[in-house]
Amino acid sequence: MSDHAADDTVPEVDESRRKFLIAATAGTGAVGAVLTAVPFVASWMPSESARAAGLPTEVDLSKMEPGQMTTHFWRKQQIYVVKRTPEMLASLPSHDDELKDPESKDSDQPAYAKNETRAIKPDVLVLIGTCTHLGCLPKPRFTPGDAAVMANWPGGFFCPCHGSKFDLAGRVFQGSPASVNLKVPPYSFEGDNKLIIGVDSAAKGVA
Amino acid sequence: MRTSNYLVALALLLGAGAVSANEGGHAGWQRPANNEISNLPSLQRGARNFMGYCSGCHSLKFVRYSRLAEDLKISDSLRDTYIVKPGDKFSDYIKASMPAADAQEWFGKPPPDLSLVARSRGSDWIFNFLTTFYADASSRQTGVNNLQLPGTAMPHVLASVQGVQQAVWKAVEHKGEDGKAVVTPEFEKFEPGVVGGLNAEQYDEFARDIVNFLQYASDPTQVERQGMGIWVVLFLLMFTGIAYMLKKEYWKDVR
Amino acid sequence: MSATMEKSNGGFRAWLNKRLPIDQFMADQLTGYYAPKNFNIWYFFGSLALLVLVMQIVTGIFVTMHFKAGETTAWNSVQYMVREVPYMWLIQPMHAVGASFFFIVVYLHMARAFLYGSYKGPREVLWVIGMLIYLALMAEAFMGYVLPFGNMSYWGAQVIINLFGTIPGIGPDLVEWIRGDYGIGDATLTRFFSLHVIALPFIIALLVLLHLVALRQVGSNNPDGIEIKENLGADGKPKDGIPFHPYYTLKDIVGVGLFLTLFAIVVFFVPTFGGLFMEAPNFEPANPSSTPEHIAPVWYFTPYYAILRAVPDQKLGALLMALSVAAFLFLPWLDRAKNKSIRYRGLASKLLLGVFFVTFLMLMWLGLKPADGIYVLLARIFTVLYFAFFILLPFVSKADGNGPVPDRVTYHAH
Repeated sequence: MSDHAADDTVPEVDESRRKFLIAATAGTGAVGAVLTAVPFVASWMPSESARAAGLPTEVDLSKMEPGQMTTHFWRKQQIYVVKRTPEMLASLPSHDDELKDPESKDSDQPAYAKNETRAIKPDVLVLIGTCTHLGCLPKPRFTPGDAAVMANWPGGFFCPCHGSKFDLAGRVFQGSPASVNLKVPPYSFEGDNKLIIGVDSAAKGVA
Repeated sequence: MRTSNYLVALALLLGAGAVSANEGGHAGWQRPANNEISNLPSLQRGARNFMGYCSGCHSLKFVRYSRLAEDLKISDSLRDTYIVKPGDKFSDYIKASMPAADAQEWFGKPPPDLSLVARSRGSDWIFNFLTTFYADASSRQTGVNNLQLPGTAMPHVLASVQGVQQAVWKAVEHKGEDGKAVVTPEFEKFEPGVVGGLNAEQYDEFARDIVNFLQYASDPTQVERQGMGIWVVLFLLMFTGIAYMLKKEYWKDVR
Repeated sequence: MSATMEKSNGGFRAWLNKRLPIDQFMADQLTGYYAPKNFNIWYFFGSLALLVLVMQIVTGIFVTMHFKAGETTAWNSVQYMVREVPYMWLIQPMHAVGASFFFIVVYLHMARAFLYGSYKGPREVLWVIGMLIYLALMAEAFMGYVLPFGNMSYWGAQVIINLFGTIPGIGPDLVEWIRGDYGIGDATLTRFFSLHVIALPFIIALLVLLHLVALRQVGSNNPDGIEIKENLGADGKPKDGIPFHPYYTLKDIVGVGLFLTLFAIVVFFVPTFGGLFMEAPNFEPANPSSTPEHIAPVWYFTPYYAILRAVPDQKLGALLMALSVAAFLFLPWLDRAKNKSIRYRGLASKLLLGVFFVTFLMLMWLGLKPADGIYVLLARIFTVLYFAFFILLPFVSKADGNGPVPDRVTYHAH
């Protein structure tokens, strides 16, 4: 039997109860929606395989000649390792006034690389080979005096994409589109000849 | 209207009942594995047993040492001593030591990868497989046969642990297809034969640990999943309750 | 909405609505759409089907990010994704379980149509579009199951694709054309991937849209099977109608909550559902030299599979199987009762429908069983009963469904 017959008395609508229940339902629903989104968003984090592939890279320094640069891969990035000669090191303090950030205050490097040579051992330079402008690979231009790069070129890196220039410690020159020095990744040494890219010197944990 | 609702509900329940009874015919000798997937010490022992006895031939190609150690809370040093094979990195997948080509030659088929065996065959199957090897020198090149997988090409790798038991058969007469009486041998029971390092009860535990570990390997997140599930279901019940109160409030209008 | 909100929004809202008729749409489709007030539990499944469609699309998008379609890569990519990509151990099973829940919801949704004559005029086109959705969904689910390339994926595909070989004349060529190769392999997998991820979802979405438009055109049926538009009040609205919003939006939200609770219980605690939702043989990679002990399609296909196997002749079996699905299309014209709803038909109609529901479920169960012993006989009996429903319906409905119907719906406050 149906109830919709002659009942004319309409009960009063409790507006405040309705408002409360709408808020409670909407609120719980919103929380649920956010919690549901978590697994989906989190699934974009690096996977187990990415982390396994991102394990530290070892470099054997004994084979490197002074003045030589080798490239390696760590966490999908190009890493430049340069065996700096005494001449290269001597050139570093001479052009502070031409640099944007000679003391590496704004750039990204571990604490042990925040010094004049931007390295633990002065003769081993480790840099992330990504131009801090828009990400191209800077090319090594180690020959001092190379006028094609710039007047009074002390040696360093030149990025072909938009012309940014960096010195032999990866510090950016004035007039470059890039605004910060090249990054230094976490690294440490095991003995004299083994460089471990990806393991911090201070802590022995993986970066 | 109401009758058809009941009819459908009844049919569904019958169906559900039939489905749960669908778990395959259990022969008399088959025993449930009764492993506890949340029992961490058992899983750890199982991992050690597997690496020690099984990984020579069987790979776990979807399982990484590092992940295994993390999930089973095995310390780095124990992991490197008992779990990681010499020459492997701790982040590697677990490969079989025996080259597949050799296995093919020696056994006729390569020993299967066991990453998912607990899901494709089930824990009970594996438990029964590990515990029902028996001596069968007459017809088997390996000298053993198996009740769960008759004619298996696998030798009794755990013979040093379980020993090698004897199967006792009884002659059973029953009607063949043409109505004539036929006598077939039926398994009756096991009797001890060659003694191994563990007694029957200890070996059951040993096998159970391996089964437990393989169940973990086939579905590494099952414990985490169930834990999360409780919260999700509770939250959803709460949400449904609140939504129901809201619905009731508005439906007061409808007469 | 408070006055201040309206004032600050008033400008933007008016600007937007001049360019995109949102308010008008809401007024027409939600607060202005009057649905019968006597909907019961059988009326939840339409909105739930839409929910499951959205869920499958969202989980599917994420699964597709990691799936690598290819004979040698598919299987590994699924294992890699559930073991190594964060939270995919949850999202992939949601997709697999969601497929089964889609069919549970769709079958219950179709059952409602049987109970209340919702396929009868003026809703014939609505029903036919729904059947097209059902067919597209079956194709989508079949292809989706092949993608992981487990052993059941392989052999299930083998059996089903070979069925097309029974079509006289073009059969064998057709099978090779579908496969793209002499056997099931890379070519088959990659095309199924494209169809499953892009083509069919678009087609299904379009069909669902048409389904909703057709529904809106004629309005919903209801458990009493009477047309509420025939009884308008002074305001021009059906006396037995209530605005879809807020009444059915709120009621459907409760339905969603209950459904998600059930879904969560399965996904988190029993995702394989005893081997029904994820079959055990599919946890082994495809092996062309080793058939699983018994090949059974996933449960939602088994009623038709049972019919296929019940017939001793392969060609005839395939034909009957096709007919058993196609028969649904003719329902609006086979049913000749005046009254739509089972409530106002006689005992004969109730019996006929009850037997059909039981038959469908029994065939579903039998399709999961091996084809030997008593199961063969049972499958044959129920196949006969299945077709008997469609054959007898024109006569039983004509005789049985013409009694008096009330002019107002039966409603109990809830």
